[in-house]
Amino acid sequence: MSEHNQIGKAVPRLDSVDKVTGLGDFAADIRLPGMLVGKFLASPHPHAEIQSIDTTRAESLPGVHAVITAADISEKGQFNPASRFHAFLARKFVVFAGQPVAAVAADDLATAEEAIDLIDVSYRLLPVVASIEQAIKPSCTAVMHEQHGMELGGSAHSQEIARDKGDQPAGQDEKSPNVVDENTFSFGDVDAAFAASDVIIENTYTVPVVHQGYIEPHGVTAYWDRPDHVIVWECVQGVFAARDLIADTLGIDPTKITLNATEIGGGFGGKGEGIFGPITVLLAKKASRPVQLILTREEELIGANPAPHSVIWIKTGAKADGTFTAVAADILVDAGAFATGWIMTNIATMLRDNYRFEAWHLHGREVLTNKASVSSYRAPGAPNAHFAMESQVDEIARALDMDQLQIRMQNVIREGDMRTTKELQDRIGANEVLAAVADHPAWSAALPKVDDEILQGRGMSLGSYSGGSGPAAAIAYLEAGGKFRFVVGTVDLTGSYTALSQIAAEALGVAVERIVMTKASPDHAPFAPMSAGSQTIYAMGAAVLEAACDIRDKLIRHVAKDFEVRPSALALDDEGVYVVSQPNKRHTFSTLYELGTEWFAEYGPVAGVGSAPQRQRAPGYAACVAEVNVEPRTGKISLTRLTMFQDVGKAINPLLIEGQLQGAAAQSAAMALWEELLFDGAGQVRNKSLLDYRMPTALDMPAIETIIVEAVGGDGPFGAKLVGEPPMTVPISAVANAVADAIERRVCDLPITPERVWQALHG
Amino acid sequence: MITLPLQLIVNGQSHNLDIEPHLTLLEVLRNDLGLGGSKEGCSTGHCGACTVLINGQPISSCLMLAAEAEGQQVLTVEGLATDGKLHPVQTAFVSNGGLQCGFCTAGMMLSTVALLKRNPNPTEKEIRHSLAGNLCRCTGYHMIVEAVKKAAEVMIHE
Repeated sequence: MSEHNQIGKAVPRLDSVDKVTGLGDFAADIRLPGMLVGKFLASPHPHAEIQSIDTTRAESLPGVHAVITAADISEKGQFNPASRFHAFLARKFVVFAGQPVAAVAADDLATAEEAIDLIDVSYRLLPVVASIEQAIKPSCTAVMHEQHGMELGGSAHSQEIARDKGDQPAGQDEKSPNVVDENTFSFGDVDAAFAASDVIIENTYTVPVVHQGYIEPHGVTAYWDRPDHVIVWECVQGVFAARDLIADTLGIDPTKITLNATEIGGGFGGKGEGIFGPITVLLAKKASRPVQLILTREEELIGANPAPHSVIWIKTGAKADGTFTAVAADILVDAGAFATGWIMTNIATMLRDNYRFEAWHLHGREVLTNKASVSSYRAPGAPNAHFAMESQVDEIARALDMDQLQIRMQNVIREGDMRTTKELQDRIGANEVLAAVADHPAWSAALPKVDDEILQGRGMSLGSYSGGSGPAAAIAYLEAGGKFRFVVGTVDLTGSYTALSQIAAEALGVAVERIVMTKASPDHAPFAPMSAGSQTIYAMGAAVLEAACDIRDKLIRHVAKDFEVRPSALALDDEGVYVVSQPNKRHTFSTLYELGTEWFAEYGPVAGVGSAPQRQRAPGYAACVAEVNVEPRTGKISLTRLTMFQDVGKAINPLLIEGQLQGAAAQSAAMALWEELLFDGAGQVRNKSLLDYRMPTALDMPAIETIIVEAVGGDGPFGAKLVGEPPMTVPISAVANAVADAIERRVCDLPITPERVWQALHG
Repeated sequence: MITLPLQLIVNGQSHNLDIEPHLTLLEVLRNDLGLGGSKEGCSTGHCGACTVLINGQPISSCLMLAAEAEGQQVLTVEGLATDGKLHPVQTAFVSNGGLQCGFCTAGMMLSTVALLKRNPNPTEKEIRHSLAGNLCRCTGYHMIVEAVKKAAEVMIHE
């Protein structure tokens, strides 16, 4: 492999200094003259028919400039009743508590809140579908009132599903109206494979609703600067998707919307296309003033788009020598009030894909209930699927008295094996990741000494995610002073601009400092995929690489003409383009900029384009080893050690990658031990503050060791594979397996609370 | 609306303001003084993104009425660097990867400054204790803790 100068360096985020000095505008930092405060009235009821809305008292309150309801939405706007994004203001029915019913724009927050209280809505209460169990009954009330083809917006994760549809629906005679997506994936003779098994493990695993937990709430500012043009500032992961959502729902020409992505205080899949853009744009139109809408934490926890609750019944078999035989599963996913159309299928197809089985039968249903609809959360569906399968693998190993690592190495999927979707498995780094675990003391060293009454446990897990693979384009041009400006329409969530700058610098042969990565709205940038699905480096990186190569080739062509040499006689260094045999004969980049911009120039300003379809995906494999201490008298669990392993193909920036592994480790471990959005039996969220929705603090987390594995096989830039999501898939089950190791019992319901541990031990 | 005359001393600078008495310190810092580095993540004192120092003590500025800060020394993220030179805590957060999205960073650093003032050589456990009021969702805290250790090491030799 060739020597790299910029790739592989641990460069701190290029925006670090801005962020430690308080610079950088997040959603709530946008300030415009005359800006009003936006606020919406959230439905107090999970399910009701709206009989009337009277806004007159709110409208007459001094300081109120606009009150809107669904009646204010233009008929030119598209409306798909199956889409959460289209129901940004409830039309005839409210289908979850927290759904916006009306909204106001007022001089200040206090006035806006008062105005909200003055909106009189008359509701006719309807039966609430509060649980999956209730929702799947054929006689159950329907959550969805108008049936419509499911055509769902822009998630990076919806792309992969179109071709991942299963064999057939399971053909039940009587079906609940709330089962909105059903798939079965089968292969081989499952019954025969179970009959030939020496051990069979059967369990039901539940994962609760969890919130992505970004610290910055959703926020939007909208300002109509001309009667037919609106400027929007929004903290979203996808500027094109956010713009198109506003355009579609309000019937606005997309080129009449300037969508600026602000700095984003975390997204993790929860801020894809944004949810609250259309409301804010509509308020600003009616008020004829700039309007800013920032969600409160309570509104976030009640009414954003969290990750789904799932119930997975699973039965797995194995031979006495540890060879896996068959897997059967029934998967129920609670999508909340609007279907995703993809998340259950994601779970179903991922469930067995990390291991070889002779036969499988996987049946899944996505179900509607009267709760906030769900969306992506970092490797959507993978934690749910992997928690079930990795627990099963652990139980098989325990039943056969085999080593947990050994049984995984023995059964792990390999290149050429059939995936659940019947595609053949591409080359992956799963073996390399497991080999790294085998070599590491985190797995093999003796556990540290603790007090006698403490139960210690160690667990491991394997996980993977395929991510997204969106087409992307980038523009590059030579700038004043000889810098290279790259204009991209992606949002920097994870330090991706830093890694993209390294990719560009490497391709050009210059220092990172010579690269200027410019975030642009769709007004200025060519199409870019959402910063989601771990695809930014993989897809946008490919476009940036191509743009860099394009501009390099053009520079070489121009200089070759100037110096009357062959292009192959030239090379680039950080100063400019030079003749290899006479390094002093050169044009600096600054000179080249001047030559391309002056009157009567020989050639025009130098610009390059990259446009990459990136059709392949580069699945990332990760593993985790976790250690816990359990106090048997109280069931209290301490997470004492976490070691993360991941194949990243080629590490573009190890510092940023380590940060991704550590951050995902905390979110995933939190799903194992702490986090759950609690609902009462009537569809209301019970823990709607960060005191009660328990996200981990520095005190809950141990130090996190990260082992980066570089297995060849990725076709991303310089061999990079996806990074951000695979690490989310593993600690959830490594921690659960560590607890099972400690207490010698299996807790199948997340989060593994002290109460559940105590029940398992003493109940 | 009745307004309240208020003298605030922020980052060593005195401001004479006339505010609505119900406003929080965070609102006044952000909206009246244009100091947007302190963030609002929850408005209930649980996330720590709004942490500022009052006479060296970390507080949630979303819970404190601006009026309560009258005459006291308020330090925000904008006051950490002096004469264009980053504070050692800022430098350590940058070089150790102690931030990702940056939304919690101001609060996290101010809690760190307060910690290192009262305990210049903290153990890892003490660091984690002192930062337990500041939520971070991106980093898993590992590199933040490493950054605090690094800052302590640098500052103890200053």
